[in-house]
Amino acid sequence: MTATAPMPASRSHRGPDVGIGWRHPHYAALLERRPAMDFIEVHSENFFVPGGAALAVLREGRALYPVSLHGVGLSLGSACGVDPWHLDQLAQLVDAIDPVRVSDHASFARGALDSDPGSGLVHGTDLLPIPFTREALDVLCANVQQVQERLRRPIAVENLSAYLRWRDADLGEPQFLAELTRRTGCQLLVDVNNIFVNALNAQLWGDGADPLDACRAWLDAIPADRVAEIHLAGHIHCGDIVIDDHGSRVCPEVWSLYRHAIGRFGAVPTLIEWDTDVPPLAVLLDEAARARAAGRRAPRTPVATTGAVAAGAAPARSLQARADLRSMELAR
Amino acid sequence: MSTLALQQQTLLGALLRGPGNQAARDAQARLQSLVLEPSSRGLAAYRANGHALAERALGAAFPVVRALVGDDSFGALARAFWHRHPPQRGDLVCWGSDLPGFLADDPQLADVPYLADTARVEWALHRAAGAPDADADPASFALLTQQDPGALTLRLAPGTAVVRSSFPVASLINAHLGDAPPMSEVAARLHHREAEQALVWRRAMRPLTRPCETGEAALLDVLLHRRSLVSALDAALATNPGFDFSVWLTQAVRDGLVLGACPGDERTAAIQP
Repeated sequence: MTATAPMPASRSHRGPDVGIGWRHPHYAALLERRPAMDFIEVHSENFFVPGGAALAVLREGRALYPVSLHGVGLSLGSACGVDPWHLDQLAQLVDAIDPVRVSDHASFARGALDSDPGSGLVHGTDLLPIPFTREALDVLCANVQQVQERLRRPIAVENLSAYLRWRDADLGEPQFLAELTRRTGCQLLVDVNNIFVNALNAQLWGDGADPLDACRAWLDAIPADRVAEIHLAGHIHCGDIVIDDHGSRVCPEVWSLYRHAIGRFGAVPTLIEWDTDVPPLAVLLDEAARARAAGRRAPRTPVATTGAVAAGAAPARSLQARADLRSMELAR
Repeated sequence: MSTLALQQQTLLGALLRGPGNQAARDAQARLQSLVLEPSSRGLAAYRANGHALAERALGAAFPVVRALVGDDSFGALARAFWHRHPPQRGDLVCWGSDLPGFLADDPQLADVPYLADTARVEWALHRAAGAPDADADPASFALLTQQDPGALTLRLAPGTAVVRSSFPVASLINAHLGDAPPMSEVAARLHHREAEQALVWRRAMRPLTRPCETGEAALLDVLLHRRSLVSALDAALATNPGFDFSVWLTQAVRDGLVLGACPGDERTAAIQP
């Protein structure tokens, strides 16, 4: 940190570390104003270039704030595996930036377009859902482990907002993620807006469950001690579908779910995401202040895991021990 | 093929196959058997996001092509390109190298014959923006007076490239992105099909282009292949007997195009577009 570095906002309170997604419209404003902030988050892929202005700006930002590197293109759930080129770029960026956290999604985008083995692989440039099957879990675990071994640190894996639901399913989403973290030692990134978007879409598609009840049950089924970061964002209701567009303030229901989440997970670092129609920096800082205020009542540490995961799917002690060992090794 | 690989191939096919073609319809029909209904709205949301990302990514890399064809046409081009040449990497900054060829092959763009070359120069500018950083080393120019120039080469700026065109595309790009030359002047030169060699390089953090004369283009071609200064001078003088190296070097150093001198076997900082 430089002598003029901004003070971390969390020093003045006991709530969670709170950060904002740092996007192009605010590159200059953040560096000039240096608002109190616990961390900033960037999309890793925006800085895969070996040089130039973008990377220089990120280095400036890193000199002022801890950086959370959030990926959107690693395609951790791809049956064809992770792109070695992508992993190389990420590893170089991690070395250069020394991020406070590294994360990506439980999704896929990379794959073959047809059965011709010579046709090459494409990237769908989206966070496409994977089925919650044992087969998909095995693939996701193998890919996450490959990434963690390359980066020599645990990563956090985020739950999706999904607009398609596979027929095949062996597990519920929280159980799927719980198994993932148990087997790989990875952390979880819980996007509260994503689970609310999914619940609203489920309601639109005929699911009778109350969306808020469904979301609370989802949060209660997540192993609390594995949650490394929480994301908060806005969404848009289009009438026939709800889209996670990160283009508005966090809605009251998501704030309510956030309070529920940190009541269970503890004062987990929390990010305000805004990627569409990015407003003035002051609006993001205001949302961050709201998260900070909401988090003041959070316990410093997660409460004991309860519910379906602890009761029904507790890991074998030896397996858990192996996962913990692997996690410690990666964290070195 | 595993069940998961088949599921993923089916969704990618439904998403990326061109709308209206049989392969897309087949993939969508297969997808319907694999996902819960309703599915068409969700698939449309993913496709709309892909289209929006394609338009945004290509618009950032090709701002002058976008201005030349207009926002609506560019959006249609970006969507068609996304289906025809889908990204292969999870970093969209890498995506777009095939756009010049795609534009050249489009019969509807035959009345804009300079569009593909404009895209080639813009792609070189886009690549230069993220090329590895390199610092100038003025002291190294002393080597030019101390060592055999046959054993020396010049270190060029990040992203240095030369794009040859039958049209004045460097001038066209500068007219769009800056104030000079005036658009009316470029329009007249376009009309007369004035050929230009577009030089692309990065000064500090800023990618730049300008026309360069034939001797300079020949010189840079050789230097970009990391061959010696003597070979480069031979090529320049063969193309333009009046080429004045010392005048050129003074200006090139001032412009940040040449960063220093080094032994000929050292790699320059330049990348191929």
